Amino acid sequence: MSAGTLTPRLADVPSTAPAPERALSRLAVRLVARGAAIVVAVAAGMSAIVVTSYDSLMADSAAAGSLGALAANPAIRTLFGEPFALDTAGGFTVWRTGTVVAVLIAVWAILAATRITRGEEDAGRWDLLLAGPVPLRTAVAAHLRVVGAVPVLLTVALWAAMAATGAGAGGAAVHAAGVGMAGLFFAGVAALAAQIQPTRAAAVGSAVAVLGVGLLARMIGDGVAALDWLRWTTPFGLLELSRPYAGNRAGPLLLLAAATVVVWATALAVAGRRDVRGGLRAPAAGRPPRTRLLGSVEAFAVRRALRPVGAWSLGIGAYFLLIGLIATTMTDFLADNPAFADAAGAAGFAGLTSVEGYAATLFAVLAVPVGLYAADRVSTFAGAEADRRLTLLAAQPITRRRLVGAEVAAVTAGVVVLTTVAGVAMWSGVVVTGGGLGFAAAVSGVWNTLPIALLSAGAAVLALGWFPRLTGGVGAVPAAGGFLLQVIAESAGAPPWLINLSPYAHLAPVPLASPNLTAAAAMVILAVALTVVGVAGFARRDLRV
Amino acid sequence: MSDAALRTDALTKRYGRLTALDALTLDVPAGEVFGFLGPNGAGKSTTIRLLLGLARPSSGRAWIFGVDAGDVARTHRRLAYVPGDVALWPQLTGAETLELLARTGAGVDRAYRDELVQRFALDLDKRAGTYSTGNRQKVALVAAFATRAPLLVLDEPTSGLDPLMEQEFRRAVRAARDRGQTVFLSSHQLADVEAVCDRVGILRAGRLIEVASVAELRRLHRAEVTVTYTGAAPDLTAVPGVDGVATDDGRLRFALTGPPGPALRRLAAADVASLSIREPSLEEIFLDYYGEAAR
Repeated sequence: MSAGTLTPRLADVPSTAPAPERALSRLAVRLVARGAAIVVAVAAGMSAIVVTSYDSLMADSAAAGSLGALAANPAIRTLFGEPFALDTAGGFTVWRTGTVVAVLIAVWAILAATRITRGEEDAGRWDLLLAGPVPLRTAVAAHLRVVGAVPVLLTVALWAAMAATGAGAGGAAVHAAGVGMAGLFFAGVAALAAQIQPTRAAAVGSAVAVLGVGLLARMIGDGVAALDWLRWTTPFGLLELSRPYAGNRAGPLLLLAAATVVVWATALAVAGRRDVRGGLRAPAAGRPPRTRLLGSVEAFAVRRALRPVGAWSLGIGAYFLLIGLIATTMTDFLADNPAFADAAGAAGFAGLTSVEGYAATLFAVLAVPVGLYAADRVSTFAGAEADRRLTLLAAQPITRRRLVGAEVAAVTAGVVVLTTVAGVAMWSGVVVTGGGLGFAAAVSGVWNTLPIALLSAGAAVLALGWFPRLTGGVGAVPAAGGFLLQVIAESAGAPPWLINLSPYAHLAPVPLASPNLTAAAAMVILAVALTVVGVAGFARRDLRV
Repeated sequence: MSDAALRTDALTKRYGRLTALDALTLDVPAGEVFGFLGPNGAGKSTTIRLLLGLARPSSGRAWIFGVDAGDVARTHRRLAYVPGDVALWPQLTGAETLELLARTGAGVDRAYRDELVQRFALDLDKRAGTYSTGNRQKVALVAAFATRAPLLVLDEPTSGLDPLMEQEFRRAVRAARDRGQTVFLSSHQLADVEAVCDRVGILRAGRLIEVASVAELRRLHRAEVTVTYTGAAPDLTAVPGVDGVATDDGRLRFALTGPPGPALRRLAAADVASLSIREPSLEEIFLDYYGEAAR
């Protein structure tokens, strides 16, 4: 009866009464449902597709054996992790998709946990909520519970997808549990960062840094035999050590579970001790003005981009430096073993016998993070409009075209910088280890991917002008969606017209081959057209408030 | 025509089936301080967004000093704006925000800006992310007044200010008027409006229902009359303009609208000892208007 009663709750009802918490959880579900559904579907779908395509890939037994030898190479191990049980569909799927799926759920968990807790809070939407009977710690817990439910859902979906497609239920259970646990761990890390850092952006930054260091530790542990203990220090290493389909070890997963419990408990403990709209670490009280780059909207757009470009450069640069450092080992190995090179070609890594070919293969992936950077920046601009930061600038004697044009210019410049950083980092890595990759070859190789990143920028601007709420998602379609489409469609043996929808299908392997200038020109023209239509839309529509 | 700081002709804004602003025709001459009033959701902020070109009219037009409001690169050179809910870039300090607005705008009187910063007691070294609502509003007010723009468009500019700062705000508005600037002030703070505005427009449910000077509004509205008498009570039945008559042991109170002549003639027939007439406050006048909306 008490649940249905209309009399107001009295003060002596405990503040953890279930009704307000349920309402909070329902609110959190509404905030994460769509993104969670996409992440779970992509992770489960991608894994199922690789399982089903395994038989056709391995029909040639010679290729299967060579793939095993290739996978034992330190360089390949560094990138994809140590392979186990490549002779089973499940083991192969874990090796090909395990890291990608784990990073996907980890990134989602970080962004969702910070967005629906500190993001909502900093925007002032929790002030009313917290004026009710619900204390801050309860509100944080209610929201985190919902974020934490998604990796659990993912575990079930991933297990079901792999088991149903014939990969063996036991190994699938270990793999799916490990991936889900990694998601839970990073949700906890993000939640903890959100309690400590003074702003949401700083919280996201430190949680992503933990993820990056974790990934790097796994890579080093896999690449350098003497340091293989590093894998015990990172969730990604522990996933690998659990050896799905090759022993199914529970120990590493239990360790990861214990770490997850510690992180979550600490986050919730800290949540009870901080101020609303502030972390444990207080922001600086004041500072003298820095008036550099405030003279025009163009300069201001550059000023706002400096920090993000720096952070993304660090991540992308570190990754390509590592790739460059191992390039010579990798290509020498393949050159000495032509049979493996053929096998690599069969497995989708063609032209790996030369540094140029190796570089070209890895540069193709560069458009994914750079395209996402562009989408993220345009989406941030849409956010500034929605929370009215843009209003005072829009009230200046500046046309809307110029306002958004300044942003487009800054985003484009950032895209070029990030792309060039990748090329220079790769080149440096190769040169340091005595390999042969020309500077011009490296730069032309990375610039070859610019059209795809620009397509993402164009798509984001188009959305900004016409469907501003969808800016980030639409912007991610060419670079990230196109990449997923190509990987999934090729693995599944889809018809060529479907594969050709992906911009990556039209990317020549530069510097191994000369660039496909026609395709590049077509993509750039399309990107410019999308941008022009988007700018026109932004100039004529009402500003959102 | 060209001496209108701000002019609208049948300005209309629809959001789907909702008509937020219905055929607003308004003329604010240069040099006037114009108060723009109405209950929440009446369309005041919509009007301001249309005047600033932040939103496009569904029909009708608006001009700022004779230039179409959509041509923001020209109109915004001659106006400064304080939004109702000021949002600033959180990573900039107050000083940096003022610098950005000064250098992207049409020019600023830096000496006057420094004076305003002093008067509004603004700490410019703090990051905007740590400012309270009132402090964010002060940053926007300082930036707007310091431009010396011929037209100031202020949307609820004092909602977060303390009474001391409200005094400074009124001082700045009067200084602006003395300098010949036009002020378009949307506000719920009727005391502010009463203190600084020459003329007032009242918006209700998207329609402009009255434009008059504050004195004219008073004439149009109910005064409260109190009479003491000896002997028989004056008979005020069926007197035009008289409403809410209440007698209480030798005292008579009623509300009077319009010319007092008929009521005074009836009172003259009785033995009136004293008579006092209290003019309505602006608040009472607007409660009358807002009240009609509820009926």
